[in-house]
Amino acid sequence: MKPAAFDYFAPKNIEEALALLGEHGYDAKPLAGGQSLVPTMNFRLAQPTVLVDLNGIDELFFIRESGDGLRIGAMTRQRAVERSPLVQRRAPLIHETMPHIAHPQIRNRGTFGGSLAHADPASELPALAVTLDARLRVQSSRGERWVAARDFYLDLFATDMQPDELLVEIAIPDLPARTGWAFDEVARRHGDYAMAGAAATVTLAEDGTIAAARLVYLSVGDFPTQAVQAEALLTGEQPTAALIRAAAETAAAQDIDPGSDIHASADYRRHLAKVLAGRVLARAVERAKMTADDRR
Amino acid sequence: MRAVGSSIQRSDAVDKVTGRAAYAGDIDLPGQAWLAIVYAPSPHAHITRIDTAAALAAAGVLAVLTAADVPVNEYGLILPDQPVLCGPGSTVQAETVRWEADHLALVVAETAEQAQAAAKLVQVEYTALPVITDPLAALAPDATVIHPHPFSAFPYGQRDNTSNLLLEYHLRRSDVDEGFAQADVIVESTYRTHAQEHAYLQPEAGLAFVREDGRIEVIAAGQWMHEDRAQIAHTLGLPAERIVVRYPAIGGAFGGREDLSVQIVLALAAWKTGRPVKIVWSREESIRGHHKRHPFVIHAKWGATKAGKIIAAQMDVTSDAGAYAYTSTKVLGNATLMCLGPYEIPNVHVDARTVYTNNCPSGAFRGFGAPQGHFAAEGQMNKLAEALGMDPVELRMRNVIHDGSILATRSAVPAGCTAEEVLAEAARRGGWKKNGIGYWVLGSETDAAPLRNTQYPISIARGVGIALCFKNVGFSLGFPEACHAWVELHGTSAIERALVGCVGAEVGQGAHSAFAQIAAEALGLDVAQVEVVAHDTDVTGSSGSASASRMTFMAGNAILGAAQQALAQWQDEERPARADFVFHPRPTSGYDRKTGESDPNITYGYCAQVADVEVDMATGHVKVKRLISVNDVGRAVNPAQVEGQIEGAVAQSVGWTLLENFIQKDGRTLTPHLSNYLIPGVADVVEEIVPVILEVPDPQGPLGIRGMAEMPFIPTAPAIAAAIHNALGVWYNELPLTPEKVWRGLSANPFPQE
Ligand SMILES: Cc1cc2nc3c(=O)[nH]c(=O)nc-3n(C[C@H](O)[C@H](O)[C@H](O)COP(=O)(O)OP(=O)(O)OC[C@H]3O[C@@H](n4cnc5c(N)ncnc54)[C@H](O)[C@@H]3O)c2cc1C
Repeated sequence: MKPAAFDYFAPKNIEEALALLGEHGYDAKPLAGGQSLVPTMNFRLAQPTVLVDLNGIDELFFIRESGDGLRIGAMTRQRAVERSPLVQRRAPLIHETMPHIAHPQIRNRGTFGGSLAHADPASELPALAVTLDARLRVQSSRGERWVAARDFYLDLFATDMQPDELLVEIAIPDLPARTGWAFDEVARRHGDYAMAGAAATVTLAEDGTIAAARLVYLSVGDFPTQAVQAEALLTGEQPTAALIRAAAETAAAQDIDPGSDIHASADYRRHLAKVLAGRVLARAVERAKMTADDRR
Repeated sequence: MRAVGSSIQRSDAVDKVTGRAAYAGDIDLPGQAWLAIVYAPSPHAHITRIDTAAALAAAGVLAVLTAADVPVNEYGLILPDQPVLCGPGSTVQAETVRWEADHLALVVAETAEQAQAAAKLVQVEYTALPVITDPLAALAPDATVIHPHPFSAFPYGQRDNTSNLLLEYHLRRSDVDEGFAQADVIVESTYRTHAQEHAYLQPEAGLAFVREDGRIEVIAAGQWMHEDRAQIAHTLGLPAERIVVRYPAIGGAFGGREDLSVQIVLALAAWKTGRPVKIVWSREESIRGHHKRHPFVIHAKWGATKAGKIIAAQMDVTSDAGAYAYTSTKVLGNATLMCLGPYEIPNVHVDARTVYTNNCPSGAFRGFGAPQGHFAAEGQMNKLAEALGMDPVELRMRNVIHDGSILATRSAVPAGCTAEEVLAEAARRGGWKKNGIGYWVLGSETDAAPLRNTQYPISIARGVGIALCFKNVGFSLGFPEACHAWVELHGTSAIERALVGCVGAEVGQGAHSAFAQIAAEALGLDVAQVEVVAHDTDVTGSSGSASASRMTFMAGNAILGAAQQALAQWQDEERPARADFVFHPRPTSGYDRKTGESDPNITYGYCAQVADVEVDMATGHVKVKRLISVNDVGRAVNPAQVEGQIEGAVAQSVGWTLLENFIQKDGRTLTPHLSNYLIPGVADVVEEIVPVILEVPDPQGPLGIRGMAEMPFIPTAPAIAAAIHNALGVWYNELPLTPEKVWRGLSANPFPQE
């Protein structure tokens, strides 16, 4: 199918883009990589009458270091993030996860900010943003504000942004010392959206106990799901295999409420959530120990 | 360079790679109009009224056609049970829709957009009927009968109009009860296989127009030109000569183009409007609108003696024909025999049936009943081997058919049987060897031996499995089989150029290149001197379908016959020399309706495969690490093309086994897109496919050639299931082996871990 008719604007800077969004509001949509928006328009699931193409706004394409981490421009291609040595060094969890997102062709076009703004519950980047305590800078002609990732996701494909707002920049804080990370997912096919996925970070205290743990799922709820009860179970304890197993069980049993579709039943998703939690937590703990050793 | 046996470049390669080749959708005719189809409002309903007034009045609309406009409103490859258009105005049969993709009306308009917009304006009134989706439920005495009216023709005697049973077959050999009484072990299981979508690259498309000579020409991809022509002519009430069928470039077929899709409606629309008419189906229309591989339920009970001889096999086989017959009766015929595998079994009892439902019709798809039958047969062999404590290769070796073995049909296996050879070669390459006393055993030094790593939270199990198959080459069970070809030789003293007329379809398998290679070999020419003429039904008589692994075998024989006669004329100084030849293979015979006695097939091809798998025991995800496929092809006309066929078949078969899941609910397709009907990408197939070509000549084959294109599809599913069993100790009897299903099997049969 082909999309319904729409007007097309290609602003050259953020200000122009914001003016257009301010003028057209609910009828307008920003066009980033188009890898989600264009298919939904072709299926007529979305019928914006105005497209504001962000691809010509150079100031939205960047990856740079800040004092406390990384700053990534919303239009930075997913492929650029995947290949960035800076991201590999300062946000290794993102680096590890990028190849799981779709296929190289799609990552060549799809953007970091587009994925975050699209808020697909099966997407990896929103879950990572919550895991890493990312902050998102949102602008409109009315002004700008910073939103914590965990406050950004409200519902299925729904974020805290207003129709006249644009996501412009994402701040990724550095991981604390003695922190390990891991990401894993299970998809039917190479490159498909996952039936379930999980990201974790674990920070060890000097005495080897878990000072902080973060476990966030994708594809098991309407938005990134933080396994708060499992995290609480882990905190302050020695990271043994038994503890990880108990945390994985708690996460799957109490922290999530997955749904069924033609690819996986709710039961199976819950089971995958347990398996994935066990795997990412174990790997995160191992890496935390290694970084602790490195620094010694 | 010898023409046959060389991996020379295909004649269509450059055009297809550069985009120059014209598929039907690429062709435009001056003054063409466009066609849109109005589909059924419900999968099963009595249509009481169709109001076309609003559609007719819409912008650009030239005509709206309904059942009343179809001269003979019935068609079908084997039997004419399908209306061209459903609704009032023609026959009682046509008043009912039985399938979500039944056609109600055709809208012809100046543009595709206008036709589609007007199609939405056609108003339909109907009474819904119960939707029957389970073939076993369809057989219940009180089930609504989907086809309560007699057909104008039914090639299997008297049909019972009060039942949804389409056809049943029975095989009886000796006495199974006595056989089971002698058995030391008996294994019993119910196997279920699922529908599969062909997912060819090119969705259905075509054009039709009335030529200056008054004949109607239809340009659309198919697999058998002359059969397409006969069916189109039947519905229009015209003699076949009034129709010309032309095949443009064809983007894959796999059996999915054996039955008609857009051809009749195009011809009708062009004939009624006098305008050239074009249609291009969307992927969704294609997935909803053409048939699928048959789902089967097979209940199997097999017994064997301690000596490893199968003594009895009892099979109860049911296939879901869907709403219309398509080739269901023929697929059933194959499955009835092939559910016994390539084995000598002295006592046999098979009851097999195919049943109408309101699901998408089932029909031809690479393997044609053999993959489903072998999934059960090879599953039974593996279970017998386990019950006997015998190696699965050794058990197969003790029962495998040879030349002259008597099949359950009480007829002999045709000469050239190499089931044992392909099995032995696959076993050797897969890590088996003969031990000191000459028994086949899985060598312990191979890294494919079961291996389990269960360190929480990672737990991986590896396994190896083997399976064997046979598959008929050519049409079965008395269906008339023939192939036309002609050869024309040009030159003065020496032959400079040869034309080969043979209209076997080039569906992407490389048939036309193979025809040229065989002709060049026979004529002592370079392949570049041979031109294949194959574009339409006027070129020659019927060459039969590009199906049943028959095209190279049949056309090769026909081309060799024509080449020899043309050469004789050349010797007699005729310039150009031209000879027509019709090849008739040895006749076969249909099943006796009570006992199944018959000489079912001309000849067979053989394939054995070994699968090495790795299973993530926690998630149930199966990865095929290596798949060895040993095929006896008699003689490889073009080894690169043979390898391509093996790799393609394995990709398609791994997809069927592990991934593809065509889901219908209440007669409606839930997976009409390639985003939810998952076909494998290159990274999902197999890490390493090892194609192995054996060349043991088939005595009936041209230059020894055997058909080979379906065979490497057939053993894949049972080989993978055996490998998973080897890894996990769990039998899986139901396809597809999705991660969730594998996990459920493991949870129900916990492996001593954790
Ligand atoms: C075959 C296929 C497989 C895929 N598999 C995956 C996968 O496994 N995992 C995954 O995460 N994704 C997957 N994707 C989606 C892909 O990653 C998309 O690129 C991504 O989700 C959206 O990014 P985009 O730049 O293409 O955004 P677009 O499609 O252009 O936009 C998406 C939405 O976000 C809005 N938007 C975009 N940018 C902004 C902004 N700066 N401010 C405000 N709103 C904005 C748009 O208006 C639109 O509503 C897949 C896509 C395809 C086609």
